[in-house]
Amino acid sequence: MDHPSLTSEKRPHWLAFGRELVWPRANLTLLLVLPTLLFLACFLVAPYVNMLVMSFRNPSTSNVFAPGYTVGNYTKALTDPYYLTVLGQTMLFGIVTTIVCLVLGYPVAYHLARTSSRWKGFLYVGILSPLLVGVVVRCYGWIILLANNGLINDALKKLGLIAGGLKLMYNPFGVGVGLVHVFLPFMILPLVSAIQSIDPTLEEAAQSLGATRTRIMRRIVIPLSLPGVQAGSILVFVLTISAYVIPILLGAFKIKIMPTLVIQLLIDAFLWPFGAALAFILAASGAAVVFLFLRLTGRLMKGVV
Amino acid sequence: MTRLTISGLTKNFGDVAAVDNLNLEIADGELISLLGPSGCGKTTTLRSIAGFVEPDAGRILFDGVDITGLAPERRNIGMVFQNYALFPHMTVDQNLRFGLEMRRVREREMASRIAEVLEIVQLTGLEGRYPRQLSGGQQQRVALARCLVTEPRVLLLDEPLTNLDAKLREEMRFFIRSLQKRIGITTVYVTHDQAEAMVISDRIVVMFKGRISQAGDPTEIYAHPVSREVADFIGLCNFIDGRVGAVTGDERYTVQTPIGDVSCRSGIPLAAGDEATIVVRPESIRLGRRPSADPGVNSVPGKVRARFYLGNFCGYRVACADGTIIQVQEEPWHGGGVDDDVWCIFASDLAWIIHH
Repeated sequence: MDHPSLTSEKRPHWLAFGRELVWPRANLTLLLVLPTLLFLACFLVAPYVNMLVMSFRNPSTSNVFAPGYTVGNYTKALTDPYYLTVLGQTMLFGIVTTIVCLVLGYPVAYHLARTSSRWKGFLYVGILSPLLVGVVVRCYGWIILLANNGLINDALKKLGLIAGGLKLMYNPFGVGVGLVHVFLPFMILPLVSAIQSIDPTLEEAAQSLGATRTRIMRRIVIPLSLPGVQAGSILVFVLTISAYVIPILLGAFKIKIMPTLVIQLLIDAFLWPFGAALAFILAASGAAVVFLFLRLTGRLMKGVV
Repeated sequence: MTRLTISGLTKNFGDVAAVDNLNLEIADGELISLLGPSGCGKTTTLRSIAGFVEPDAGRILFDGVDITGLAPERRNIGMVFQNYALFPHMTVDQNLRFGLEMRRVREREMASRIAEVLEIVQLTGLEGRYPRQLSGGQQQRVALARCLVTEPRVLLLDEPLTNLDAKLREEMRFFIRSLQKRIGITTVYVTHDQAEAMVISDRIVVMFKGRISQAGDPTEIYAHPVSREVADFIGLCNFIDGRVGAVTGDERYTVQTPIGDVSCRSGIPLAAGDEATIVVRPESIRLGRRPSADPGVNSVPGKVRARFYLGNFCGYRVACADGTIIQVQEEPWHGGGVDDDVWCIFASDLAWIIHH
């Protein structure tokens, strides 16, 4: 037989449980982000986990994978000079594209941030224009321009400036042109907002202290816009090292970079475990470069933020 | 050091003349303030001296040498901005170094000059701080130090105290003034605060609509304003309109007004029948039970309509027979009360005629 005091102790507990069924206000926020969380869990986290598991599976010639687990896929990828070269090329390609975007984008961003012209809106549209055209259409546009008998080569030949044809496509140059074209907005927009947040009187103060335009840029504007440089560079770098369609259309598999290689292994060679391992190596290398970049620029940004 | 000459300076923004044919001579080591409401052209004038604004016409000369076409970075000026414009990513030391590095000053001299200036602005020990780690007053002094360390020819201050709280603002007025005197640097100080201008300046230049309304030392501007807008901008005023009745002596006139005949002074020659507006400051007027016996003193009868106590003085609004309200500031212990019949008593020297 229960002791009476015990049952009375249990009752409030049960009541408290019932009260929790009424949604407290704080949980409402959770409810609102829940769809997004679920979406990400299903379509991002789950596939990643699946890929990660796959990358440790044993390869098989007749099946997707053989039973058992191994780190062999990783050791193979990281010891084979071929894959390492492709990885290195991919990183280099990402870095060069990022630098080109930064160099081309910075003056535009500065102008856009400081101008009060009524054409500002048109400039924004111009900058975003590469994103307004589908990737395939855009690439065929470039092909018309850059091909061996394309517009540029034709024009140069007719002007008598060159005898043979310039090789503008199916090489890193052509792919680079295509990538820089689309990724420029991703560099320019963060730069614009970073430069806009720099008080223009700082530039006047520097000038009154005897600084020329170049020195104002080097000592004041560029250091203070580093958060924008970081954001834009990371975006462009990550997008470049994972670009697939543009390298294929403008490079036609002639330049070897990781995304095309991974797809070849997965789809054509049907080597799922090894392809998955390569994909993770690409992601990890990209993350490592980004981390190094943040460390490096972080040291320069002391006091900026 | 440097004598600054502004000659025929004109700047238009669209159809609006921000500065209209402005002429000003600033002596070596003088501190002048440009005082006026917003949009009067004071900031445009300052920015023209700095070189940030390219004038449409006119010249700016340092010691007689035309620098109008010179870029700001080549003028060797020091400018303090309203928001200080300290470089946020640099420490105090690096902020001070900036101007010296631009001038390629040698490292050893740099260090000693920075130490010296930091001592003057009482910031020794804060070299390693970033601007955001400093209080408003300290930031203000860093901004000053950053200019002074480069030993500029002219110091330009653009409403430097606006962002400080009232108490600190008053302290900084004296600080800037004594610092300026000690260094003896030619200084142009832009402000819309008349008290600030009075405390700090050798000479005040009152500007309206791009033109100089009056230039003179604080006493002159306050006691002998040339126009209604100048008088109104600087301190509280009673304006009494009338017509000159008689010329009673050198600079002395009797003016017929709705509140009776008032004897007063003028800096400009007038003839009987001319229109005239008299300015009398509220603190120049005394309240009395009886009119003054002195013939050189004006006595105007009225009735107290309102009385308000402000600590350091007592304000009265006195209505005269014709309805004109005269504002009076009396000592706080003055015993007058509402509805009392009183006489407003003021010396003819303190009634000043301005241009009409």
